[in-house]
Amino acid sequence: MKKNLMLRFIAPAVALALALHAPVRAHPHASDASMLSALPIAVSVAAPAMIFSGGVMLTVVAVEASADGTVWMLERASDGARASVTLSAAAAAGLSVAAGTAVLVTAFSAGWVLSAAGRAIAYIPNEIGAALLHNERLTR
Amino acid sequence: MKAALMLALALTAGAAQAGRSCEARAPDAVNVQRAMTLAEHTAHALDASGAQVVVLARSGQDLTRYGLAWSHLGLAYRDAGRWRVVHKLNQCGSAQAAVYRQGLGEFFIDDLHEYKAGIVVPTPAVQARLLDTLSDNGRVTRLNTPAYNMLAYPWSQRYQQSNQWALETLAMTQEPAATSRERAQAWLKLQGYEPTTLRLGALTRLGARATAANIAFDDHPNEKRFTDRIETVTVDSVFAWLNRSGLGGTVQVIR
Repeated sequence: MKKNLMLRFIAPAVALALALHAPVRAHPHASDASMLSALPIAVSVAAPAMIFSGGVMLTVVAVEASADGTVWMLERASDGARASVTLSAAAAAGLSVAAGTAVLVTAFSAGWVLSAAGRAIAYIPNEIGAALLHNERLTR
Repeated sequence: MKAALMLALALTAGAAQAGRSCEARAPDAVNVQRAMTLAEHTAHALDASGAQVVVLARSGQDLTRYGLAWSHLGLAYRDAGRWRVVHKLNQCGSAQAAVYRQGLGEFFIDDLHEYKAGIVVPTPAVQARLLDTLSDNGRVTRLNTPAYNMLAYPWSQRYQQSNQWALETLAMTQEPAATSRERAQAWLKLQGYEPTTLRLGALTRLGARATAANIAFDDHPNEKRFTDRIETVTVDSVFAWLNRSGLGGTVQVIR
């Protein structure tokens, strides 16, 4: 598995989840009785512990391209604490996230959802969530 | 006409969605949370069941007007302590589909009609015959036909919809002689499987065929098609048959 975690300041739970979860390919846009949504799963996260608490509002301060995909720098207004979230370029492609975008953090049993205006812009699985994810196409 | 067409389209990958191209659109944040929570609850229920293999359904569309509770079927199995689902997905409302192995999270992440899972636990003998196949990429895709038709005729091999793939694959694992789709279908007939009959009038059929790439009726026998009887494999018909035949238990609903 490719290790692309930034090791500084990684929240332990996030690090654990991402270590368990191989970099996620862009989801297939496939459907049967409905269309599989394009869920942007974070490829890696570097954040001080506790920044991803439920109900926290963060602001996107920068959007950068990297070898691993698209990196969002997020900042907590109250104390200036910063986190970076990396998504694959394909996952980020359909999202309109720019500097200044307000991001709400929602914590729940299987991880964290980052959302902007009600839309999920990233899902960050914890250990429970990572165990529920797997994506493998078996036929062409 | 429009209302009738929409009825037909409700069967078609939510055809309003399926007909459009695969635009990437971020899902509702609350739906991601609901789907992952449902996946977690389902994993707990499956762990507690003691089963190694289950037949798993989701409710992606409201099909209650057809008397159907479920829209899509997968075969789930325990793999090193985690549950994986093998199922067939239609690509963007096209006439093609592919088989995937996914987690419970991916299985439920969608704009589901209802956040619930339907589970039927097969008998231990049926599970044992399924288990090895589900982890074998070659075997589990052996009966896959890429040509997709949401309303494929159950006794034809021209097209294959998702629930039909799951049912025929189940048949293949249970009967050593069921090495082709035709033979799997013959076994299913012998075992008393009965598809759902949908009443779709000519205008509805015409509209659906003209509008959606993933619907066809040319695999249905004329005597049925022209009397508005469209037979296809539904989750509900598979669940009913598993229970009726003694191959599986009753439907358990997880929320």
